[in-house]
Amino acid sequence: MPSEIDPAELLTAYADGIAEITPEDRRRVDAALAAAPGLRDEHAAIAGVLDQLRALPGEGGEPDWAAMERSIRAAVGAEVPRPWWRRWQWLAPATTLVTAMAVLVVVMWTRELATVARPRPVAPAPSKLEPVAAVDDVVALWLDGAEVDIDVGKAAAFAALEPAEDDAAPDDSLLPIDDLAIVDRLDADGLARAEHWLAAAEPRKGLK
Amino acid sequence: MTAADPDLELAERVRAGERAAFDVLVRRHQKGMWRLIRRYVKSDADAADITQLAFVRAFRGLTGFRGTATVRSWLYRIAINCALSWLRDHRREQPAEIAEEALVDDNPAPAALAAGDDRARLRKAIAQLPPKQKLVLELRVFDDLSFREVAELADCSENTAKVNFHYAVKRLRDILGGEHAL
Repeated sequence: MPSEIDPAELLTAYADGIAEITPEDRRRVDAALAAAPGLRDEHAAIAGVLDQLRALPGEGGEPDWAAMERSIRAAVGAEVPRPWWRRWQWLAPATTLVTAMAVLVVVMWTRELATVARPRPVAPAPSKLEPVAAVDDVVALWLDGAEVDIDVGKAAAFAALEPAEDDAAPDDSLLPIDDLAIVDRLDADGLARAEHWLAAAEPRKGLK
Repeated sequence: MTAADPDLELAERVRAGERAAFDVLVRRHQKGMWRLIRRYVKSDADAADITQLAFVRAFRGLTGFRGTATVRSWLYRIAINCALSWLRDHRREQPAEIAEEALVDDNPAPAALAAGDDRARLRKAIAQLPPKQKLVLELRVFDDLSFREVAELADCSENTAKVNFHYAVKRLRDILGGEHAL
């Protein structure tokens, strides 16, 4: 691809190193030289100046190259420097190891903390409290227009009187304290039997 | 092209740990580096010291050489940097530039006098060039670098190096033509 440079500006590069000019630029300079005689004179003048420049002797007196080579060899040393990352290449496995150990320590420490924080199951201490005396489980019920005190302790009797409706009842031998409406559901026969049973029972806490 | 760089294989061998390959690089480039540095520092001994320093730095930095430039232009870059650094450090110690006429022999033959005079005028003309043009001209003419290498060292494109080279020579002709006119 030809450059945008004026062929005249490439003239010195053309005169000094035609091999380093792209073929397109070379054609452009050739065309310019063919078209302009003045450019051909300039080309010749440039070549002359370049010859003069190249004929200039180097500055200063050249040193003893062998001695300089020896001094450079001594200054450089025998050890070839390794890339910085090779000097630090031990760092990767070491970091991995340290990290793994740190993670392990943290995990173990966390587990230990969890173990300490969790309440250990403790066997319930035997209660030293004196057994509380049974409360007088007498419940007042309104029964057939009159207040009746019922001894809850006699619940078993009611359970026996009530037909089992729910097999899933946890314990049908006890009178459900929270549902004494059972008494209201007793029919006349059941009620009579209950009164009879209560009257026959030892009058400790029964009907008064 | 980097692929055609004759020093690349040596550089790779040094990087692989072959110390002797660096000696080959030194033998190959010490003259060029010394001459390049000598144009900056004006003292043979100082140029030798700076050349040594440049090679030491190159040896230590070779592991970081990426191969984007040729090994030669990379070495020359180090040499220029070392020379400029040295100049900064020794600015006060640098003697005033000796007049070129003073370098001519005391009793030269007329032909030698004329030749010496031409050389002196040419050097004086080069010294008057703008820094970039001077750098490009010297690297190209005195160090025989390719335009690509010149461009690498002058931090410009290859075409810019060619154009700078053209204007450097044109300016030299102008300076020398003006002096002739005087």
